[in-house]
Amino acid sequence: MPSIDKAIHDTTSVRTDLEMALDPVEPDGVFRDSRECAALALLSADTKLLLSPPTPRPKKG
Amino acid sequence: MEQSGTSALLQGAVQDIASDVVSALRGGDHVRMSGTMAADDIEGGLALAAVRVLGADLLLPHVLFPTPPAPEVLAVFRRTVEAFPLRPDAAPTVRWSHWAMRRTLLRLDTPLNGPPGMAADPEPDAGWLDDAPWQTLTHQLAVLTPLALPGEDCAVALAARRRPVDVARGFVRAVRRRDWQQAAGAGRWLTLLDGVPDTLGLETGLDFVELMGGTDPRVALQVQAARVVRAAGALV
Repeated sequence: MPSIDKAIHDTTSVRTDLEMALDPVEPDGVFRDSRECAALALLSADTKLLLSPPTPRPKKG
Repeated sequence: MEQSGTSALLQGAVQDIASDVVSALRGGDHVRMSGTMAADDIEGGLALAAVRVLGADLLLPHVLFPTPPAPEVLAVFRRTVEAFPLRPDAAPTVRWSHWAMRRTLLRLDTPLNGPPGMAADPEPDAGWLDDAPWQTLTHQLAVLTPLALPGEDCAVALAARRRPVDVARGFVRAVRRRDWQQAAGAGRWLTLLDGVPDTLGLETGLDFVELMGGTDPRVALQVQAARVVRAAGALV
């Protein structure tokens, strides 16, 4: 690819990637494994909330 | 998802600059940008794009401590704002991050006894946050962490202030999803909010986020920013 075309391609790619970085879609979650849960439990001896699932909310209507 | 070559380069450049900011936050020093910033070539363009991604957080140490930034860093920041003007169809997060950069420039680029270099911009609309589910609210706030500053009273900060329990819930969700960047960003916001449940264990949670995700300088930046804010007396 000629250099000017490559420069245009690179610049366009940067713009596209920039827009994705500034308005990102939330990535898919990966839930903790048992090793990390154990580490959290050690760190959080007095606090158990992080180990609990999110509090359910009543549905409206 | 596979990354393009430029995407990986851009992420690397963002991480390099974030490392510089983390060093300044830890040492109470000036931000020093180690990379070359020639805007004429693709590498210079990439570096400016990286500064645009990091946004106003590039100058965060100078806002929090506060100290004047190095002239060359301020010049790069100013050049970045000029190089990436807002597009008419820009998303709300893009509008707010651009607003935050211009506001920071206005704050730090004004001579002490001189007239301001540019007029203050009107705030973009933040109505989309009011109706956002707590998951979306937390995700969007984590993208807009440059607005998480002590004393900030823009519409995004006010939206966060109205929903501390939702942000706390989003913090827990982000930790459970191993989304360390979102968790760190939400944690930074939570250090500024009143009404955060004591049972959250925010300080311990931030330690855990740093332990698990702190090798990413963008995560370390948010955690360190939260610590600086907390040390300065913000609510925890």
